[in-house]
Amino acid sequence: MKEKLEALLQGALVELSTVSTEETLHELRVKYLGKKGLLTSVMKGLGSLSPEERPVAGQMANVVKVQLEERLEGILQDIRERDKEQKLRNERLDVTLPGRRRPVGTKHPVSLVIEEISEIFAGLGFKVAEGPEIEMDYYNFEALNIPKDHPARDMQDTFFVSESVVLRTHTSPVQIRTMLKQPPPVRIIAPGTVYRCDSDATHSPMFHQIEGLLVDKGITFGDLKGILTIFLNQYFGSGTGVRLRPSFFPFTEPSAEVDIACVMCKGKGCRICKNTGWLEILGAGMVDPEVYRHVSYDSETFTGFAFGMGIERIAMLRYGISDMRLLFENDLRFLSQF
Amino acid sequence: MIVTYNWLKEFVDFDLSSDALSDLLTMIGLEVEGVRPIGADFDEVVVAVVREKLQHPNADKLSLCQVDSGKEILTIVCGAQNFNEGDTVALAQIGAVLPGDFRIKRSKIRGSESFGMLCSEKELGLAEESDGIMLLPAGLPLGKPVFEALGLKDVIFEIGLTPNRADCLSVIGIAREIAAVLGKKVKYPSYEVREQGPPIQEMATIRIEDADLCPRYMARYISGCTIGPSPAWMVTRLNAVGIRSINNVVDITNYVLLEYGHPLHAFDHQLLAGGTVIVRRAEEGERFVTLDGQERVLTCNDLTIRDADKAIALAGVMGGENSEISDSTTNILLESAYFAPSAIRRTARRLGMHTEASHRFERGADVSVLCRALDRAASLMAEFAGGTIASGSIDVYPEVLLPRTIPFRLDRVERILGIELSAEAVTKIFHDLEFAVECPEPGILQVTVPTFRVDLEREIDLIEEVARLNGYENIPVTMPNVRTFSDRPTRHQALERQLRNLFVAHGLSEVITYSFINPTVFDGILLAENDARRKTIGILNPLTEEQSVMRTTLLPGLLETTARNTSFRQLNVQVFEMRRIYLPKEEGELPHEPVYAAGILTGLRDPECWNRSRDSIDFYDVKGLLENIFETLCISKISFEARELDLYYHPGKACNVYVGKELVGSFGEIHPTVQENFTVEKPLYYFELNFEKLVSLSNEIISVSPPPRFPETFRDIAMLVQDATETGAVLDCIRGNKIKEIENAELFDLYKGKGIPDGHKSIAVRVRYRSSERTLTDEEVNRLHERVVQNLLSKINVTIR
Repeated sequence: MKEKLEALLQGALVELSTVSTEETLHELRVKYLGKKGLLTSVMKGLGSLSPEERPVAGQMANVVKVQLEERLEGILQDIRERDKEQKLRNERLDVTLPGRRRPVGTKHPVSLVIEEISEIFAGLGFKVAEGPEIEMDYYNFEALNIPKDHPARDMQDTFFVSESVVLRTHTSPVQIRTMLKQPPPVRIIAPGTVYRCDSDATHSPMFHQIEGLLVDKGITFGDLKGILTIFLNQYFGSGTGVRLRPSFFPFTEPSAEVDIACVMCKGKGCRICKNTGWLEILGAGMVDPEVYRHVSYDSETFTGFAFGMGIERIAMLRYGISDMRLLFENDLRFLSQF
Repeated sequence: MIVTYNWLKEFVDFDLSSDALSDLLTMIGLEVEGVRPIGADFDEVVVAVVREKLQHPNADKLSLCQVDSGKEILTIVCGAQNFNEGDTVALAQIGAVLPGDFRIKRSKIRGSESFGMLCSEKELGLAEESDGIMLLPAGLPLGKPVFEALGLKDVIFEIGLTPNRADCLSVIGIAREIAAVLGKKVKYPSYEVREQGPPIQEMATIRIEDADLCPRYMARYISGCTIGPSPAWMVTRLNAVGIRSINNVVDITNYVLLEYGHPLHAFDHQLLAGGTVIVRRAEEGERFVTLDGQERVLTCNDLTIRDADKAIALAGVMGGENSEISDSTTNILLESAYFAPSAIRRTARRLGMHTEASHRFERGADVSVLCRALDRAASLMAEFAGGTIASGSIDVYPEVLLPRTIPFRLDRVERILGIELSAEAVTKIFHDLEFAVECPEPGILQVTVPTFRVDLEREIDLIEEVARLNGYENIPVTMPNVRTFSDRPTRHQALERQLRNLFVAHGLSEVITYSFINPTVFDGILLAENDARRKTIGILNPLTEEQSVMRTTLLPGLLETTARNTSFRQLNVQVFEMRRIYLPKEEGELPHEPVYAAGILTGLRDPECWNRSRDSIDFYDVKGLLENIFETLCISKISFEARELDLYYHPGKACNVYVGKELVGSFGEIHPTVQENFTVEKPLYYFELNFEKLVSLSNEIISVSPPPRFPETFRDIAMLVQDATETGAVLDCIRGNKIKEIENAELFDLYKGKGIPDGHKSIAVRVRYRSSERTLTDEEVNRLHERVVQNLLSKINVTIR
């Protein structure tokens, strides 16, 4: 019995060592361990053994069975692993074929710039305010200390809707509307569309501005420098050189033009900055007492600053656009790059 | 304002490079917009001496010269006759480029080689006309650039002045600013008025009748002038700043205008009836011919200068043709006056005239400089036009305008600027600016500003002067007491951004079109004659007729955008615009400016790809887009109804969108005629939504449910219905059953064609059943489904297949 079992095991192991497919493995399983297999037929001989020999032989037969099963399972795993590897070796995509893309839209650069700038100012506590684009002359000019028959009106070529109604030439009337609606403190920015009758490579009859206004107790020109420096460094990159130089706006005093070190040449001087190393980026100043008078704020108690910038100019600098008209031609070959 | 480096140096001592000067000016608010060297282009034109001059062997009118440029002797062929051996001349060497891109090259003229050219004044831009070559004074260093040797090298500064700085519309004004920064004194021009003629009162009388518009009028009388060319230095200087020389008298008034910033006017005295000057408003409708030959129709608000009979000048704007200086003029009445700024501005604006004089008067002239400008000009006329100055001057000045005194509180400097400055520091700044300062009590200064600073009226104006002269760069950078929070955007703002993001995520690109449109475009989009959108807000002064009214719909701009792109063969267009339209309201009220969201889709649905079919956009793409939007904005109770459509839609392929009973927008295929009108080939799908309504109808997600715990069971219904039956009615009928286990019902197949009777379609709907409490049994579902089918059969004409 013992010899038979050992011979069976040896024979099986020899046969198994040459197996290479799942089918032959299955055949061998049936041959040795099947219901009519060799092990079963050897086991049939158990009955002819003595009661003393029987359990020993039975135990032995069991060991052989377990051994065979383990071996069969091991080989099966090997074959499957090998087959899987074989399959993986044969499956090859041309990864250089183009992907199947979903259509993706883009925001207009003007919207992008407005969103980015609004976010920065939101972080500085400024809330977004809005106002009408078709505006009273009073809000657009008079209340901003730009009386009729004043040369300052020449600074802005105005589209008129009637004698007293204009297309707003700047977002500054939002300052007036906001201050008329609420007492200080005020801390707003006002992005919006504005209009001037002017059209060439650097002027569009319709363009966009962002206005800022902060009025509170104890606000100084130094604070204006602080807020603008933070904004310009966040937007154009930290370490961006900022300079303020005197200028004139009827609704601020002192007034300043704010320049940043040229983003193209880093201040060395190039075509973009006309070799000055500086780019004019926004206008700003301390709110003029005359403006406070129009909105009934006490200019002795409250001080504040206002600033305004052209979105298109910023977009043009940011994205290296040389002709403003591109922004309103809506050529998808241009817009799809944003 | 244009000034030159050398001219400024006449009035203030400074030792700055032109770059440093440019920086200095820019940083005190006089922005230098351009710096242009004069003469630098002519560095290749050098001083030379003619050593030998021979007749050209092959040409009578040419000479063959040997010219010494200091480092070599060159052979030059020259056509001019006005020089001799030994003369000093201007030699353009090979490589020089003269105005008009005239490049000097080695050349052969009538068989003789020439290695350069002898230049005339005209060729060097120094004169309008010249006769022969330019002869230079003897003794100039040979080989040196001519402009340098003659001291003509200069630098032009173009300064962009802000409208408040009338005082800087002159060379002296700008010199005064430089002096203030550098702490120097201005060297004002020195001149002598040699009064030799009879008293002026014998020659002229002056009367101001409208003193409100002309507070002061001064005049001098210069007789025996000879009108002729101006001295070269004056011509050069005027040319440099862009003013053409006319004759000595006119040039002198221009020169003094630039020097002092005060406009003068010279009348031909012989042409003044009665030798009288009257300053008075014009008659309404009066006609008057100005110097430029234009006839102007005046109003009673225009101030005129008149003689006994007629107007002789439009005050502060332009003189008249009838009293103009001519070659035969000998006696001159020279005007130096001060006019009210707003009156001059009104007149100049109305007549569309913008002159050097009006530019200055409307910004505010200096009432005190009248006398000096007048005397300076008179003395120059005596010197350069041979005139004799009559004794005395006339000065009509009914009410003397005194310099302003402004109280100034020192502590306000810190309140406004955030920098503390001592009384001494502030006083020094004011003194540098030629202001007088008194200190009646500590902390308070009484500052008297000169009359040339018309822009300074209030304390804040003086604070700006302090900031400017102290330097903006010296104000410390501080931060305001920042709130530790910021307000959230309004619902309108948040949704606007959300919607923009949604469109972009759906593959649409944002465009921005002009808010003004062409009023004729309404015909192009088939808008009904009585459509409210034809009532627009017009612009009184549009740039073009195409941009003359404010839009009442986004459609035209989007159609033009699409047409433009398809004309570039960009055939797949998916764009949106989310901006305002402008709807008129009652007279006297500002218009309504609601935001609309609209878009156009045409061409392929997806980007072209090697392994995807090329499907075109259709109605249901747009509908799906809108359905997604409504879902995201949590707007329910949407219905789509194909009635009362705008005429720009295809009548059978479009619908209006309602939320409840409220019309919120529409979408569909654009009418083929509109498509043709905008010359687009492929069908266009358009949608428009009233964003304001979406904002008010939108909801925020308040609560959500956990995912269902029990499985769903579905049953399909396949049915035949008539073509005219709307699928929506079938679905509504199924969903409308009052059975809470119906989770949803969806169309999953639509078929027409083979096997389906004509005029019918086959639709298949999947109904999903689910209980929130337990797993439904097949029998339960069957019972529910039977009710659904029976209900359908009883309400709609369908055949179950």
